[in-house]
Amino acid sequence: MSAESASGIQRSQVDLLDFVDWSGVECLNYSSSHSLANALKQGYREDEGLNLESDADEQLLIYIPFIQVVKLHSIVIKGPEDEGPKTVKLFANREHMGFSNVNDFPPSDTADLSLDNIKGKPVLLKYVKFQNVRSLTIFVEDNQSGSDITKIQKIVLYGTTVETTDMKGLKKIEEH
Amino acid sequence: MVLEATMICIDNSEWMRNGDYAPTRFQAQADAVNLICGAKTQSNPENTVGVLTMAGKGVRVLVTPTSDLGKILACMHGLEVGGECNLAAGIQVAQLALKHRQNKKQQQRIIVFVGSPVKYDKKLLEMIGRKLKKNSVALDIVNFGEEDEGKTEKVEALLAAVNNNDSSHIVHIPSGPSALSDALISTPIFTGDGEGGSGFAAAAAAAAAGGVSGFDFGVDPNLDPELALALRVSMEEERARQEAAAKKAAEEAAKQEKGAEQQSSTQDATMTETVSAAAPEAENKSNDMTDDENALLQQALAMSMGDSSASAATRDTDMSEATADDQDLALALQLSVQDSTKDQASQTDMSKLLADQSFVSSILASLPGVDPNDPSVKDLLASMQNQAEPQQKDEDKAPKEEEKK
Repeated sequence: MSAESASGIQRSQVDLLDFVDWSGVECLNYSSSHSLANALKQGYREDEGLNLESDADEQLLIYIPFIQVVKLHSIVIKGPEDEGPKTVKLFANREHMGFSNVNDFPPSDTADLSLDNIKGKPVLLKYVKFQNVRSLTIFVEDNQSGSDITKIQKIVLYGTTVETTDMKGLKKIEEH
Repeated sequence: MVLEATMICIDNSEWMRNGDYAPTRFQAQADAVNLICGAKTQSNPENTVGVLTMAGKGVRVLVTPTSDLGKILACMHGLEVGGECNLAAGIQVAQLALKHRQNKKQQQRIIVFVGSPVKYDKKLLEMIGRKLKKNSVALDIVNFGEEDEGKTEKVEALLAAVNNNDSSHIVHIPSGPSALSDALISTPIFTGDGEGGSGFAAAAAAAAAGGVSGFDFGVDPNLDPELALALRVSMEEERARQEAAAKKAAEEAAKQEKGAEQQSSTQDATMTETVSAAAPEAENKSNDMTDDENALLQQALAMSMGDSSASAATRDTDMSEATADDQDLALALQLSVQDSTKDQASQTDMSKLLADQSFVSSILASLPGVDPNDPSVKDLLASMQNQAEPQQKDEDKAPKEEEKK
Protein backbone atom coordinates (compact mmCIF):
# COMPACT_ATOMS: atom_id res chain seq x y z
CA MET A 1 0.00 0.00 0.00
CA SER A 2 1.16 3.52 -0.67
CA ALA A 3 2.77 5.42 2.21
CA GLU A 4 1.15 8.62 1.06
CA SER A 5 -0.54 10.73 3.70
CA ALA A 6 -4.07 9.55 3.96
CA SER A 7 -5.55 12.35 5.93
CA GLY A 8 -7.49 13.57 2.93
CA ILE A 9 -8.54 12.39 -0.44
CA GLN A 10 -6.54 13.40 -3.46
CA ARG A 11 -8.31 16.18 -5.22
CA SER A 12 -8.92 14.34 -8.41
CA GLN A 13 -10.66 11.51 -6.73
CA VAL A 14 -14.44 11.61 -6.61
CA ASP A 15 -17.00 9.70 -4.70
CA LEU A 16 -18.01 6.88 -7.00
CA LEU A 17 -21.49 6.70 -5.56
CA ASP A 18 -22.96 8.23 -8.71
CA PHE A 19 -21.52 5.49 -10.84
CA VAL A 20 -22.95 2.58 -8.93
CA ASP A 21 -25.37 0.42 -10.92
CA TRP A 22 -28.05 0.02 -8.27
CA SER A 23 -29.98 -2.64 -10.16
CA GLY A 24 -27.14 -5.09 -9.78
CA VAL A 25 -26.05 -4.38 -6.25
CA GLU A 26 -26.16 -7.52 -4.09
CA CYS A 27 -25.28 -8.44 -0.58
CA LEU A 28 -25.06 -11.90 0.95
CA ASN A 29 -25.69 -12.73 4.60
CA TYR A 30 -27.12 -9.43 5.60
CA SER A 31 -29.81 -9.09 8.19
CA SER A 32 -33.00 -8.09 6.43
CA SER A 33 -33.71 -5.06 8.56
CA HIS A 34 -30.18 -3.77 8.10
CA SER A 35 -29.54 -3.80 4.41
CA LEU A 36 -26.75 -2.58 2.20
CA ALA A 37 -28.53 0.67 1.44
CA ASN A 38 -27.93 1.74 5.01
CA ALA A 39 -24.20 1.77 4.34
CA LEU A 40 -24.06 2.89 0.74
CA LYS A 41 -26.80 5.33 -0.02
CA GLN A 42 -26.46 9.04 0.39
CA GLY A 43 -28.14 10.15 3.57
CA TYR A 44 -28.49 6.68 5.01
CA ARG A 45 -24.80 6.24 5.34
CA GLU A 46 -24.41 9.47 7.24
CA ASP A 47 -26.92 8.31 9.80
CA GLU A 48 -25.03 6.76 12.69
CA GLY A 49 -27.96 4.64 13.70
CA LEU A 50 -28.39 2.92 10.35
CA ASN A 51 -25.98 0.07 9.80
CA LEU A 52 -25.48 -2.80 7.46
CA GLU A 53 -25.46 -5.84 9.70
CA SER A 54 -24.59 -9.45 9.06
CA ASP A 55 -27.01 -12.24 9.80
CA ALA A 56 -26.03 -15.86 10.27
CA ASP A 57 -22.39 -15.16 11.02
CA GLU A 58 -19.91 -12.32 10.91
CA GLN A 59 -19.00 -12.49 7.20
CA LEU A 60 -20.48 -10.33 4.50
CA LEU A 61 -20.20 -10.43 0.76
CA ILE A 62 -21.05 -7.25 -1.09
CA TYR A 63 -21.19 -6.99 -4.86
CA ILE A 64 -21.22 -3.55 -6.45
CA PRO A 65 -21.34 -3.17 -10.24
CA PHE A 66 -20.69 0.18 -11.90
CA ILE A 67 -22.43 1.76 -14.82
CA GLN A 68 -19.13 2.49 -16.41
CA VAL A 69 -15.53 1.55 -15.96
CA VAL A 70 -13.82 3.24 -13.03
CA LYS A 71 -10.45 3.42 -11.36
CA LEU A 72 -10.55 2.85 -7.65
CA HIS A 73 -8.19 4.84 -5.49
CA SER A 74 -9.25 4.46 -1.93
CA ILE A 75 -12.07 3.29 0.25
CA VAL A 76 -13.61 4.39 3.53
CA ILE A 77 -15.29 1.80 5.71
CA LYS A 78 -16.75 3.17 8.87
CA GLY A 79 -18.30 1.16 11.68
CA PRO A 80 -18.52 0.69 15.42
CA GLU A 81 -15.27 0.00 17.24
CA ASP A 82 -16.01 -3.49 18.32
CA GLU A 83 -18.30 -4.84 15.63
CA GLY A 84 -16.81 -2.99 12.70
CA PRO A 85 -15.05 -5.04 10.03
CA LYS A 86 -11.38 -5.91 10.34
CA THR A 87 -10.19 -7.95 7.39
CA VAL A 88 -11.68 -6.82 4.13
CA LYS A 89 -10.81 -8.42 0.80
CA LEU A 90 -11.54 -6.64 -2.43
CA PHE A 91 -12.04 -8.34 -5.75
CA ALA A 92 -12.25 -6.41 -9.00
CA ASN A 93 -14.35 -7.66 -11.88
CA ARG A 94 -15.42 -10.95 -10.37
CA GLU A 95 -19.09 -11.64 -10.88
CA HIS A 96 -21.39 -13.57 -8.58
CA MET A 97 -18.99 -14.80 -6.00
CA GLY A 98 -20.20 -16.93 -3.15
CA PHE A 99 -18.78 -17.59 0.28
CA SER A 100 -17.53 -20.95 -0.92
CA ASN A 101 -15.38 -19.69 -3.75
CA VAL A 102 -14.26 -16.47 -2.14
CA ASN A 103 -11.02 -18.10 -1.10
CA ASP A 104 -10.35 -19.61 -4.50
CA PHE A 105 -9.08 -16.42 -6.07
CA PRO A 106 -6.44 -14.10 -4.76
CA PRO A 107 -8.00 -10.78 -3.86
CA SER A 108 -7.06 -7.68 -5.80
CA ASP A 109 -6.30 -6.10 -2.47
CA THR A 110 -6.73 -6.78 1.22
CA ALA A 111 -7.49 -4.05 3.72
CA ASP A 112 -6.73 -4.67 7.35
CA LEU A 113 -8.76 -2.01 9.06
CA SER A 114 -7.29 -0.33 12.08
CA LEU A 115 -9.27 1.64 14.59
CA ASP A 116 -8.46 4.80 12.68
CA ASN A 117 -9.88 3.37 9.55
CA ILE A 118 -13.01 2.32 11.36
CA LYS A 119 -13.45 5.90 12.49
CA GLY A 120 -13.38 7.10 8.93
CA LYS A 121 -9.82 7.31 7.74
CA PRO A 122 -9.63 6.18 4.11
CA VAL A 123 -7.69 3.11 3.18
CA LEU A 124 -5.49 3.55 0.15
CA LEU A 125 -5.62 0.70 -2.26
CA LYS A 126 -3.19 -0.73 -4.76
CA TYR A 127 -4.19 1.68 -7.46
CA VAL A 128 -2.54 -0.37 -10.18
CA LYS A 129 -4.82 -3.26 -9.48
CA PHE A 130 -7.97 -1.20 -9.83
CA GLN A 131 -7.41 0.48 -13.15
CA ASN A 132 -10.24 -1.09 -15.04
CA VAL A 133 -13.01 -1.87 -12.62
CA ARG A 134 -16.46 -2.81 -13.86
CA SER A 135 -17.59 -4.35 -10.60
CA LEU A 136 -16.27 -4.60 -7.09
CA THR A 137 -16.77 -7.39 -4.62
CA ILE A 138 -16.13 -6.62 -0.98
CA PHE A 139 -15.67 -9.62 1.29
CA VAL A 140 -15.76 -8.83 4.99
CA GLU A 141 -14.03 -11.75 6.62
CA ASP A 142 -14.17 -10.86 10.28
CA ASN A 143 -14.72 -7.98 12.63
CA GLN A 144 -12.70 -6.04 15.21
CA SER A 145 -13.83 -7.90 18.28
CA GLY A 146 -14.64 -11.31 16.82
CA SER A 147 -18.32 -11.05 17.63
CA ASP A 148 -21.05 -12.85 15.75
CA ILE A 149 -22.37 -9.79 13.98
CA THR A 150 -20.45 -7.36 11.85
CA LYS A 151 -21.80 -3.85 11.58
CA ILE A 152 -20.86 -1.37 8.88
CA GLN A 153 -22.11 2.15 9.11
CA LYS A 154 -20.67 3.64 5.94
CA ILE A 155 -18.89 2.57 2.78
CA VAL A 156 -17.47 5.20 0.43
CA LEU A 157 -15.49 4.49 -2.71
CA TYR A 158 -13.12 7.08 -4.08
CA GLY A 159 -11.72 7.05 -7.55
CA THR A 160 -12.01 8.38 -11.05
CA THR A 161 -13.86 7.37 -14.10
CA VAL A 162 -12.29 6.12 -17.26
CA GLU A 163 -13.45 7.81 -20.40
CA THR A 164 -16.14 5.47 -21.57
CA THR A 165 -19.07 6.18 -23.78
CA ASP A 166 -22.23 6.62 -21.86
CA MET A 167 -24.69 4.88 -24.14
CA LYS A 168 -27.62 6.75 -22.70
CA GLY A 169 -26.03 10.01 -23.76
CA LEU A 170 -25.88 9.02 -27.41
CA LYS A 171 -28.43 10.94 -29.41
CA LYS A 172 -29.40 10.78 -33.00
CA ILE A 173 -28.12 13.71 -34.98
CA GLU A 174 -31.04 15.89 -35.96
CA GLU A 175 -31.53 16.35 -39.66
CA HIS A 176 -32.11 19.99 -40.44
CA MET B 1 -43.71 -13.94 -10.57
CA VAL B 2 -40.46 -14.48 -8.78
CA LEU B 3 -37.60 -15.59 -10.96
CA GLU B 4 -36.46 -18.74 -9.25
CA ALA B 5 -34.27 -21.77 -9.68
CA THR B 6 -35.62 -24.70 -7.69
CA MET B 7 -34.08 -28.02 -6.75
CA ILE B 8 -36.48 -30.71 -5.59
CA CYS B 9 -35.07 -33.40 -3.31
CA ILE B 10 -37.03 -36.64 -3.48
CA ASP B 11 -37.01 -39.25 -0.77
CA ASN B 12 -36.91 -42.64 -2.49
CA SER B 13 -35.92 -44.67 0.53
CA GLU B 14 -37.44 -47.97 1.67
CA TRP B 15 -39.94 -46.11 3.82
CA MET B 16 -41.61 -44.93 0.64
CA ARG B 17 -43.06 -48.34 -0.09
CA ASN B 18 -45.70 -47.76 2.56
CA GLY B 19 -49.24 -47.42 1.31
CA ASP B 20 -50.67 -45.01 3.83
CA TYR B 21 -50.67 -42.35 1.16
CA ALA B 22 -52.51 -43.70 -1.85
CA PRO B 23 -51.26 -45.61 -3.83
CA THR B 24 -47.78 -45.65 -2.26
CA ARG B 25 -45.88 -42.87 -0.55
CA PHE B 26 -43.48 -42.74 -3.42
CA GLN B 27 -46.18 -42.39 -6.02
CA ALA B 28 -47.87 -39.65 -4.05
CA GLN B 29 -44.55 -37.89 -3.86
CA ALA B 30 -44.01 -38.22 -7.61
CA ASP B 31 -47.41 -36.68 -8.29
CA ALA B 32 -46.64 -33.81 -6.00
CA VAL B 33 -43.31 -33.24 -7.74
CA ASN B 34 -45.00 -33.13 -11.13
CA LEU B 35 -47.48 -30.58 -9.87
CA ILE B 36 -44.79 -28.41 -8.35
CA CYS B 37 -42.72 -28.46 -11.53
CA GLY B 38 -45.72 -27.41 -13.54
CA ALA B 39 -46.59 -24.61 -11.15
CA LYS B 40 -43.08 -23.22 -11.07
CA THR B 41 -42.59 -23.24 -14.82
CA GLN B 42 -45.99 -21.71 -15.37
CA SER B 43 -45.61 -18.89 -12.90
CA ASN B 44 -42.54 -17.63 -14.70
CA PRO B 45 -41.32 -19.08 -18.03
CA GLU B 46 -37.73 -18.40 -17.08
CA ASN B 47 -37.95 -20.45 -13.90
CA THR B 48 -35.87 -23.59 -13.80
CA VAL B 49 -36.45 -26.75 -11.83
CA GLY B 50 -34.09 -29.62 -11.10
CA VAL B 51 -34.61 -32.94 -9.37
CA LEU B 52 -32.39 -35.15 -7.28
CA THR B 53 -32.94 -38.31 -5.27
CA MET B 54 -31.60 -38.63 -1.76
CA ALA B 55 -31.71 -42.38 -1.17
CA GLY B 56 -30.90 -45.36 -3.33
CA LYS B 57 -27.20 -45.88 -3.88
CA GLY B 58 -26.53 -42.30 -2.93
CA VAL B 59 -27.50 -38.76 -3.71
CA ARG B 60 -28.01 -38.53 -7.43
CA VAL B 61 -28.97 -35.51 -9.48
CA LEU B 62 -31.51 -36.65 -12.04
CA VAL B 63 -31.81 -33.39 -13.90
CA THR B 64 -30.04 -30.09 -13.38
CA PRO B 65 -32.20 -26.98 -13.21
CA THR B 66 -34.00 -26.65 -16.52
CA SER B 67 -37.15 -25.00 -17.75
CA ASP B 68 -37.99 -27.99 -19.93
CA LEU B 69 -40.94 -29.61 -18.19
CA GLY B 70 -40.83 -32.69 -20.38
CA LYS B 71 -37.30 -33.49 -19.35
CA ILE B 72 -38.24 -33.22 -15.69
CA LEU B 73 -41.28 -35.46 -16.02
CA ALA B 74 -39.31 -37.98 -18.04
CA CYS B 75 -36.64 -38.34 -15.43
CA MET B 76 -39.27 -39.23 -12.83
CA HIS B 77 -39.95 -42.46 -14.69
CA GLY B 78 -38.33 -45.68 -13.63
CA LEU B 79 -37.17 -44.48 -10.26
CA GLU B 80 -36.38 -47.26 -7.83
CA VAL B 81 -37.38 -47.23 -4.20
CA GLY B 82 -34.76 -48.40 -1.78
CA GLY B 83 -31.88 -47.51 0.50
CA GLU B 84 -31.72 -44.88 3.17
CA CYS B 85 -32.33 -41.19 2.78
CA ASN B 86 -29.27 -38.98 3.21
CA LEU B 87 -30.89 -35.67 4.04
CA ALA B 88 -27.79 -33.63 4.83
CA ALA B 89 -25.91 -34.65 1.71
CA GLY B 90 -29.04 -34.20 -0.37
CA ILE B 91 -29.52 -30.61 0.70
CA GLN B 92 -25.87 -29.79 0.21
CA VAL B 93 -25.79 -31.28 -3.28
CA ALA B 94 -28.92 -29.32 -4.09
CA GLN B 95 -27.22 -26.16 -2.92
CA LEU B 96 -24.25 -26.93 -5.13
CA ALA B 97 -26.47 -27.57 -8.12
CA LEU B 98 -28.17 -24.24 -7.58
CA LYS B 99 -24.87 -22.46 -7.24
CA HIS B 100 -23.96 -23.53 -10.75
CA ARG B 101 -27.23 -22.43 -12.30
CA GLN B 102 -26.95 -20.71 -15.63
CA ASN B 103 -28.95 -17.62 -14.85
CA LYS B 104 -27.39 -16.06 -11.80
CA LYS B 105 -30.27 -13.64 -11.42
CA GLN B 106 -32.57 -16.44 -10.30
CA GLN B 107 -33.36 -16.79 -6.63
CA GLN B 108 -32.34 -20.12 -5.16
CA ARG B 109 -34.86 -22.47 -3.59
CA ILE B 110 -34.74 -26.07 -2.41
CA ILE B 111 -37.88 -28.14 -1.85
CA VAL B 112 -37.19 -31.26 0.18
CA PHE B 113 -39.58 -34.13 0.83
CA VAL B 114 -38.88 -35.71 4.21
CA GLY B 115 -40.72 -39.01 4.49
CA SER B 116 -38.33 -41.26 6.35
CA PRO B 117 -36.94 -40.82 9.86
CA VAL B 118 -34.19 -38.21 10.19
CA LYS B 119 -31.06 -39.75 11.63
CA TYR B 120 -29.01 -36.58 11.79
CA ASP B 121 -28.89 -34.57 14.97
CA LYS B 122 -30.40 -31.15 15.33
CA LYS B 123 -27.07 -29.36 15.48
CA LEU B 124 -25.98 -30.58 12.09
CA LEU B 125 -29.29 -29.65 10.54
CA GLU B 126 -29.14 -26.18 12.06
CA MET B 127 -25.64 -25.71 10.70
CA ILE B 128 -26.82 -26.68 7.24
CA GLY B 129 -29.74 -24.31 7.62
CA ARG B 130 -27.48 -21.42 8.57
CA LYS B 131 -25.25 -22.09 5.60
CA LEU B 132 -28.26 -22.01 3.31
CA LYS B 133 -29.40 -18.74 4.84
CA LYS B 134 -25.95 -17.25 4.44
CA ASN B 135 -26.03 -18.04 0.75
CA SER B 136 -29.62 -16.76 0.50
CA VAL B 137 -31.11 -20.10 -0.45
CA ALA B 138 -34.74 -20.60 0.59
CA LEU B 139 -35.87 -24.01 1.79
CA ASP B 140 -39.34 -25.57 1.67
CA ILE B 141 -39.86 -28.74 3.69
CA VAL B 142 -42.67 -31.22 3.05
CA ASN B 143 -42.92 -33.34 6.18
CA PHE B 144 -44.93 -36.50 5.54
CA GLY B 145 -44.67 -40.25 6.00
CA GLU B 146 -42.97 -41.50 9.15
CA GLU B 147 -43.99 -39.75 12.33
CA ASP B 148 -40.78 -40.29 14.22
CA GLU B 149 -40.47 -38.70 17.63
CA GLY B 150 -37.98 -35.91 17.24
CA LYS B 151 -38.37 -35.77 13.48
CA THR B 152 -40.83 -32.90 13.58
CA GLU B 153 -38.66 -31.08 16.07
CA LYS B 154 -35.53 -31.50 13.93
CA VAL B 155 -37.27 -30.42 10.80
CA GLU B 156 -38.72 -27.35 12.48
CA ALA B 157 -35.27 -26.47 13.80
CA LEU B 158 -33.88 -26.73 10.28
CA LEU B 159 -36.56 -24.41 9.01
CA ALA B 160 -35.94 -21.91 11.78
CA ALA B 161 -32.25 -21.84 10.92
CA VAL B 162 -32.91 -21.26 7.23
CA ASN B 163 -35.87 -18.98 7.39
CA ASN B 164 -35.19 -15.46 6.30
CA ASN B 165 -38.19 -13.16 6.16
CA ASP B 166 -40.67 -16.00 5.78
CA SER B 167 -39.26 -17.08 2.46
CA SER B 168 -38.97 -20.66 3.67
CA HIS B 169 -41.94 -22.82 4.60
CA ILE B 170 -42.77 -26.16 6.14
CA VAL B 171 -45.89 -28.27 5.64
CA HIS B 172 -46.86 -31.31 7.66
CA ILE B 173 -49.09 -33.67 5.75
CA PRO B 174 -50.63 -36.53 7.73
CA SER B 175 -51.74 -39.64 5.90
CA GLY B 176 -55.37 -39.53 4.96
CA PRO B 177 -57.90 -39.95 2.21
CA SER B 178 -56.86 -36.88 0.25
CA ALA B 179 -53.82 -37.10 -1.95
CA LEU B 180 -50.49 -35.57 -0.99
CA SER B 181 -50.57 -33.26 -3.99
CA ASP B 182 -54.04 -32.00 -3.12
CA ALA B 183 -52.92 -31.11 0.36
CA LEU B 184 -49.92 -29.28 -1.05
CA ILE B 185 -51.88 -27.13 -3.47
CA SER B 186 -53.19 -24.80 -0.81
CA THR B 187 -49.83 -24.36 0.88
CA PRO B 188 -47.41 -21.48 0.33
CA ILE B 189 -45.06 -23.95 -1.32
CA PHE B 190 -47.37 -23.90 -4.29
CA THR B 191 -48.71 -20.42 -4.13
CA GLY B 192 -45.24 -18.99 -3.86
CA ASP B 193 -45.73 -16.55 -1.00
CA GLY B 194 -49.12 -15.42 -2.09
CA GLU B 195 -48.51 -14.72 -5.72
CA GLY B 196 -47.14 -16.37 -8.78
CA GLY B 197 -48.38 -19.92 -9.14
CA SER B 198 -51.84 -19.14 -7.88
CA GLY B 199 -53.40 -19.31 -11.31
CA PHE B 200 -51.99 -22.72 -11.96
CA ALA B 201 -52.75 -23.81 -8.44
CA ALA B 202 -56.37 -22.81 -8.72
CA ALA B 203 -56.76 -24.69 -11.97
CA ALA B 204 -55.04 -27.72 -10.56
CA ALA B 205 -57.23 -27.58 -7.48
CA ALA B 206 -60.37 -27.50 -9.54
CA ALA B 207 -59.22 -30.36 -11.71
CA ALA B 208 -57.99 -32.52 -8.89
CA ALA B 209 -60.96 -31.90 -6.67
CA GLY B 210 -63.53 -32.28 -9.42
CA GLY B 211 -62.12 -35.65 -10.33
CA VAL B 212 -62.08 -37.63 -7.12
CA SER B 213 -62.97 -37.08 -3.49
CA GLY B 214 -62.40 -33.31 -3.49
CA PHE B 215 -66.03 -32.36 -3.69
CA ASP B 216 -68.78 -34.05 -1.76
CA PHE B 217 -70.83 -35.21 -4.66
CA GLY B 218 -68.28 -35.75 -7.37
CA VAL B 219 -69.70 -32.75 -9.14
CA ASP B 220 -67.63 -29.67 -9.66
CA PRO B 221 -69.67 -26.58 -8.79
CA ASN B 222 -67.71 -24.74 -11.41
CA LEU B 223 -68.94 -27.08 -14.09
CA ASP B 224 -72.53 -27.59 -12.98
CA PRO B 225 -73.59 -25.22 -10.25
CA GLU B 226 -77.28 -26.04 -10.29
CA LEU B 227 -76.76 -29.73 -9.92
CA ALA B 228 -74.24 -29.19 -7.16
CA LEU B 229 -76.65 -26.89 -5.36
CA ALA B 230 -79.56 -29.32 -5.68
CA LEU B 231 -77.43 -32.13 -4.37
CA ARG B 232 -76.21 -30.06 -1.47
CA VAL B 233 -79.71 -28.96 -0.47
CA SER B 234 -81.10 -32.47 -0.53
CA MET B 235 -78.11 -33.69 1.43
CA GLU B 236 -78.77 -31.10 4.09
CA GLU B 237 -82.42 -31.99 4.27
CA GLU B 238 -81.57 -35.63 4.62
CA ARG B 239 -79.10 -34.88 7.37
CA ALA B 240 -81.65 -32.73 9.11
CA ARG B 241 -84.15 -35.53 8.92
CA GLN B 242 -81.75 -37.96 10.47
CA GLU B 243 -80.99 -35.54 13.20
CA ALA B 244 -84.67 -35.07 13.74
CA ALA B 245 -85.12 -38.79 14.10
CA ALA B 246 -82.36 -39.08 16.63
CA LYS B 247 -83.58 -36.06 18.46
CA LYS B 248 -87.10 -37.37 18.67
CA ALA B 249 -85.87 -40.57 20.18
CA ALA B 250 -83.86 -38.66 22.74
CA GLU B 251 -86.68 -36.25 23.30
CA GLU B 252 -89.00 -39.08 24.08
CA ALA B 253 -86.85 -40.28 26.93
CA ALA B 254 -86.32 -36.76 28.23
CA LYS B 255 -89.97 -36.04 28.01
CA GLN B 256 -90.91 -38.99 30.04
CA GLU B 257 -88.59 -37.87 32.78
CA LYS B 258 -89.63 -34.26 32.82
CA GLY B 259 -93.27 -34.89 32.43
CA ALA B 260 -95.01 -32.10 30.66
CA GLU B 261 -92.55 -30.89 28.11
CA GLN B 262 -93.70 -28.26 25.75
CA GLN B 263 -93.76 -29.49 22.24
CA SER B 264 -94.38 -27.23 19.35
CA SER B 265 -94.22 -27.92 15.71
CA THR B 266 -95.05 -26.38 12.46
CA GLN B 267 -96.47 -27.75 9.34
CA ASP B 268 -93.57 -26.63 7.29
CA ALA B 269 -90.48 -28.65 6.57
CA THR B 270 -89.66 -31.32 9.05
CA MET B 271 -86.40 -29.57 9.83
CA THR B 272 -88.07 -26.83 11.75
CA GLU B 273 -90.10 -29.40 13.62
CA THR B 274 -87.03 -30.98 15.00
CA VAL B 275 -85.57 -27.70 16.10
CA SER B 276 -88.71 -26.50 17.76
CA ALA B 277 -89.33 -29.81 19.40
CA ALA B 278 -86.55 -29.15 21.86
CA ALA B 279 -87.08 -27.87 25.35
CA PRO B 280 -87.91 -24.13 25.35
CA GLU B 281 -84.53 -23.09 26.69
CA ALA B 282 -82.65 -25.19 24.27
CA GLU B 283 -84.91 -23.97 21.56
CA ASN B 284 -84.09 -20.35 22.13
CA LYS B 285 -80.48 -21.23 21.96
CA SER B 286 -80.91 -23.18 18.79
CA ASN B 287 -82.09 -20.07 17.07
CA ASP B 288 -78.83 -18.35 17.71
CA MET B 289 -76.75 -21.42 17.22
CA THR B 290 -73.90 -20.55 15.04
CA ASP B 291 -70.98 -21.20 17.32
CA ASP B 292 -69.56 -23.88 19.53
CA GLU B 293 -70.40 -22.21 22.83
CA ASN B 294 -74.05 -22.75 22.28
CA ALA B 295 -73.49 -26.30 21.33
CA LEU B 296 -71.59 -26.88 24.55
CA LEU B 297 -74.34 -25.18 26.50
CA GLN B 298 -76.83 -27.45 24.86
CA GLN B 299 -74.76 -30.41 25.80
CA ALA B 300 -74.66 -29.30 29.38
CA LEU B 301 -78.41 -28.86 29.37
CA ALA B 302 -78.93 -32.22 27.83
CA MET B 303 -76.65 -33.85 30.32
CA SER B 304 -78.57 -32.23 33.13
CA MET B 305 -81.66 -33.73 31.63
CA GLY B 306 -79.77 -36.90 32.14
CA ASP B 307 -79.96 -38.75 28.87
CA SER B 308 -78.29 -39.23 25.58
CA SER B 309 -79.67 -36.10 24.00
CA ALA B 310 -76.14 -34.69 24.26
CA SER B 311 -75.35 -36.07 20.85
CA ALA B 312 -78.58 -34.67 19.58
CA ALA B 313 -77.50 -31.26 20.82
CA THR B 314 -74.36 -31.29 18.74
CA ARG B 315 -76.29 -32.38 15.77
CA ASP B 316 -78.62 -29.57 16.48
CA THR B 317 -75.77 -27.17 15.80
CA ASP B 318 -75.10 -28.63 12.40
CA MET B 319 -78.70 -28.55 11.57
CA SER B 320 -79.38 -24.99 12.49
CA GLU B 321 -76.42 -23.96 10.42
CA ALA B 322 -78.15 -25.61 7.53
CA THR B 323 -81.38 -23.91 8.35
CA ALA B 324 -79.65 -20.59 8.56
CA ASP B 325 -79.30 -20.72 4.82
CA ASP B 326 -82.96 -20.95 4.21
CA GLN B 327 -85.01 -17.90 5.01
CA ASP B 328 -88.25 -19.81 5.08
CA LEU B 329 -86.88 -22.10 7.70
CA ALA B 330 -85.67 -19.14 9.73
CA LEU B 331 -89.17 -17.77 9.69
CA ALA B 332 -90.50 -21.09 10.76
CA LEU B 333 -87.97 -21.17 13.56
CA GLN B 334 -89.27 -17.91 14.86
CA LEU B 335 -92.79 -19.17 14.64
CA SER B 336 -91.89 -22.21 16.62
CA VAL B 337 -90.35 -20.06 19.33
CA GLN B 338 -93.61 -18.25 19.69
CA ASP B 339 -95.43 -21.53 19.58
CA SER B 340 -93.56 -22.83 22.54
CA THR B 341 -95.31 -20.36 24.75
CA LYS B 342 -98.72 -21.67 23.79
CA ASP B 343 -100.56 -23.96 26.13
CA GLN B 344 -100.50 -27.68 25.96
CA ALA B 345 -103.86 -28.04 24.29
CA SER B 346 -102.90 -26.49 21.00
CA GLN B 347 -99.73 -28.54 21.02
CA THR B 348 -101.76 -31.64 21.37
CA ASP B 349 -103.84 -30.74 18.39
CA MET B 350 -100.72 -30.19 16.37
CA SER B 351 -99.32 -33.47 17.50
CA LYS B 352 -102.54 -35.14 16.52
CA LEU B 353 -102.19 -33.79 13.08
CA LEU B 354 -98.66 -34.99 12.83
CA ALA B 355 -99.59 -38.32 14.22
CA ASP B 356 -101.67 -38.77 11.19
CA GLN B 357 -99.41 -40.93 9.15
CA SER B 358 -100.95 -40.22 5.80
CA PHE B 359 -100.83 -36.47 6.31
CA VAL B 360 -97.19 -36.54 7.24
CA SER B 361 -96.15 -38.75 4.40
CA SER B 362 -97.98 -36.49 1.99
CA ILE B 363 -95.97 -33.56 3.28
CA LEU B 364 -92.77 -35.51 3.05
CA ALA B 365 -93.51 -36.62 -0.47
CA SER B 366 -93.98 -33.02 -1.53
CA LEU B 367 -90.55 -32.12 -0.23
CA PRO B 368 -87.85 -32.47 -2.87
CA GLY B 369 -85.27 -35.18 -2.47
CA VAL B 370 -87.20 -37.09 0.16
CA ASP B 371 -88.19 -40.67 -0.31
CA PRO B 372 -90.97 -41.62 2.08
CA ASN B 373 -89.78 -45.18 2.00
CA ASP B 374 -86.36 -44.22 3.20
CA PRO B 375 -85.59 -45.94 6.47
CA SER B 376 -84.46 -42.74 8.17
CA VAL B 377 -87.73 -41.08 7.26
CA LYS B 378 -89.55 -44.06 8.66
CA ASP B 379 -87.58 -43.77 11.87
CA LEU B 380 -88.58 -40.16 12.12
CA LEU B 381 -92.20 -41.00 11.72
CA ALA B 382 -91.92 -43.74 14.27
CA SER B 383 -90.36 -41.41 16.81
CA MET B 384 -93.05 -38.85 16.13
CA GLN B 385 -95.59 -41.48 16.85
CA ASN B 386 -93.88 -42.39 20.07
CA GLN B 387 -93.94 -38.88 21.38
CA ALA B 388 -97.59 -38.45 20.64
CA GLU B 389 -98.25 -41.73 22.41
CA PRO B 390 -98.95 -40.49 25.91
CA GLN B 391 -101.68 -38.28 24.49
CA GLN B 392 -102.96 -40.15 21.49
CA LYS B 393 -102.79 -43.82 22.10
CA ASP B 394 -105.56 -44.82 19.78
CA GLU B 395 -104.35 -42.97 16.76
CA ASP B 396 -100.92 -44.34 17.26
CA LYS B 397 -101.87 -47.93 17.00
CA ALA B 398 -102.99 -47.79 13.41
CA PRO B 399 -99.96 -45.87 12.14
CA LYS B 400 -97.65 -48.04 14.13
CA GLU B 401 -98.97 -51.11 12.52
CA GLU B 402 -98.33 -49.50 9.22
CA GLU B 403 -94.80 -48.67 10.25
CA LYS B 404 -94.03 -52.19 11.23
CA LYS B 405 -94.83 -53.58 7.83
